[in-house]
Amino acid sequence: MEKLIPRTSRRLAVVINYGAILLFLVCFYLAGRIGWNVPVAASVVTAILVALITFFSLHVRTKLWKLVHTKVENLDERELQVTHESLRYAYGIFTVISLLVLLVIALLTPQWDSLLILIFASLLYLAHTLPSSVIAWREKDY
Amino acid sequence: MKGRKLYNRIAVLREERGLSRKELAGKIGVNFQTVGYLEREEYNPSLDLAFRIGEVFGLPIEMIFSTVPMKPLSVELMERRIERGE
Repeated sequence: MEKLIPRTSRRLAVVINYGAILLFLVCFYLAGRIGWNVPVAASVVTAILVALITFFSLHVRTKLWKLVHTKVENLDERELQVTHESLRYAYGIFTVISLLVLLVIALLTPQWDSLLILIFASLLYLAHTLPSSVIAWREKDY
Repeated sequence: MKGRKLYNRIAVLREERGLSRKELAGKIGVNFQTVGYLEREEYNPSLDLAFRIGEVFGLPIEMIFSTVPMKPLSVELMERRIERGE
């Protein structure tokens, strides 16, 4: 039987993993502004290593990566429930983050680009209506 | 919707029959971790899965699952006999 990783450790790994990705992005941003130097390059390498180590221990070792990428037909009912709930959360979080990134880009644009605002509004609409559209498309009685 | 907690005797019945979690999981068609969740009463099975568990143990589902904490099977059987006047 596989060794289980306590939830506190898994949560810590999640935070460190995303922190490393954020550090990676900040380093590239800094490198673009001030140019590459030893501390920035060292931070990039550290961020990549930390991200890889935490990715392996969090997603691969626990087999969670496999769980969320397994075909629905091969999951049992509890696994289906767990993946359904995780996808529900993930969809919401991903939508909020994506829209925030787009909003920041739109706000940082020197002149308000009407197309960018329309894309933002359309994506906001899509994010809110897509789940019910899928139900409307697939289900028999509604 | 959060359902009410269901109590069960799966752990006792499994050990009584000398089955490992993996063996029981294979018989009822779930992952062995799901058997752990069921035994710890942290997951309520569907009606279909409850019937499959009942079939494996050869017992009606009301002998395995309950909405109130369960007494040992021997006590319950004794009480039923007394009720029937046997």
